[in-house]
Amino acid sequence: MNYNTSQFKNGLKLMLDGNPCSIVNNEIVKPGKGQAFNRVKFKDLITGKTLEKTFKSGESLEGADVMELEMQYLYSDGEKWHFMEPESFEQFDLSETSMGTAINYLVEQDSCIITLWNNNPISVTPPNHVVLEVIDTDPGLKGDTAGTGGKPATLNTGVVVQVPLFVSIGDKVKVDTRTNEYTGRA
Amino acid sequence: MSTQVALNSIHLTMSEIKTNLVKYQNFIRLIREFFYSRKIVEVKTPSLLSTPTSDVYIDSIGVEVNDGIQKANKRYLHTSPEIEMKRLLLKGSGDIFQISQVYRDNEQGSLNSNEFSMLEFYRLGFGMHQLIDEVIELLIALGHSTDVEKVSYSDAFIQNSGIDILNTDFDDLKSIAKSHGLNSDFHWIEDLQTLLFVHLIEPKIAQIPICIIYDYPKDQAALAQINGSVAQRFELYINGLEIANGYQELQSREDYRFRFNNELIKRKKLSKTTPLIDKQFLNELKDGGLPYCSGVAIGIERLFSAKSL
Repeated sequence: MNYNTSQFKNGLKLMLDGNPCSIVNNEIVKPGKGQAFNRVKFKDLITGKTLEKTFKSGESLEGADVMELEMQYLYSDGEKWHFMEPESFEQFDLSETSMGTAINYLVEQDSCIITLWNNNPISVTPPNHVVLEVIDTDPGLKGDTAGTGGKPATLNTGVVVQVPLFVSIGDKVKVDTRTNEYTGRA
Repeated sequence: MSTQVALNSIHLTMSEIKTNLVKYQNFIRLIREFFYSRKIVEVKTPSLLSTPTSDVYIDSIGVEVNDGIQKANKRYLHTSPEIEMKRLLLKGSGDIFQISQVYRDNEQGSLNSNEFSMLEFYRLGFGMHQLIDEVIELLIALGHSTDVEKVSYSDAFIQNSGIDILNTDFDDLKSIAKSHGLNSDFHWIEDLQTLLFVHLIEPKIAQIPICIIYDYPKDQAALAQINGSVAQRFELYINGLEIANGYQELQSREDYRFRFNNELIKRKKLSKTTPLIDKQFLNELKDGGLPYCSGVAIGIERLFSAKSL
């Protein structure tokens, strides 16, 4: 199915240079004299990169068969990360490249959003906030709760996050997956 | 006039609405005072015309006017007061300005509308740069900064993209468009120039609060005088948004006939309606044409919104 520029809107999934992309911003530029254009910001759903294109108004692009489904993360065998759709029990796997930064935040049994393109998984979006366990960090100074600076802590997924000084090994902490920031103790 | 622009935000309280309407009123008052103090006469020209615009990318809205029972005549709402104001100049009006509501068909997007307010004014004996200076003086009178960047169309391209726009032919521009992953399927070089301007230059101009682009390529002359490879045409951009379009005006009847016809040929090519050329206007140009002058059209709502930033 093709979409004309007049049907463009944020979130619409289209094929661009062979990759499925999602419209992030669509602006119609109509010069006082001259042809009207749509200046469009896309997110490439495979590479995650943002790109800008300008189309002649009236041009059309092929739609991308993209679906977002909630799935459970099962396990990783070191090469592939395995997921299951909880209703159909259908299973999907992704390579480390497709996982992107999601590998930093997913632990077995967690839910996340998997993006499918032509029924193949292309990317993973972890929940905005996850709870992870501190497996390594320097001991903090006792009584220092003001937390002037902070210190690095390694969490059970291997990711390193800056935490306040009072956090110690074994603590569960909340992390914002979009910014990789500590948001509190769980 | 469209005071709607003062009410654009949805969450206004009644007192905020009142405040904004007064703000808009003061804005219009400042514009009028600017012209009155320069002895430029305010005019009001007809908005129901017998000929639609010949501009290839502007479409008139047609309306039916009844002259007694079952005698319907087709009229067209003006898309700009340009021709009617030039008629006044031909009759010896001297310097004039007008604030009018104009109407355009097939507009879309949040920055465009089927009707908007336009400030248009003409200055006898002014060249393009003189008119640019006066537009800047108007901006200052409206409270804008005196810090204005003036750059030619050609320099804007060189500085922001390295493209020598005036010396790049149609085929080479197609290759450049392709190299940016853009469609290169255009009938005319000016559309490709505009595509590259919108794609590569406007986002850069968006960083500049007030920017004047002048000396457009001759293929984008519209109704401006051509001088060598460039047209004496300029545009005002505020934070990357097109606010005004001005020309050192064409004068001779033959030039007008040629430019109007050129637009009609393009409309034909795009399978758009091809109206008759405004014969009456051409007739009025026959004794020596339009006096030497420059004129500019300014989008009022856009200017008002830029002021309230």
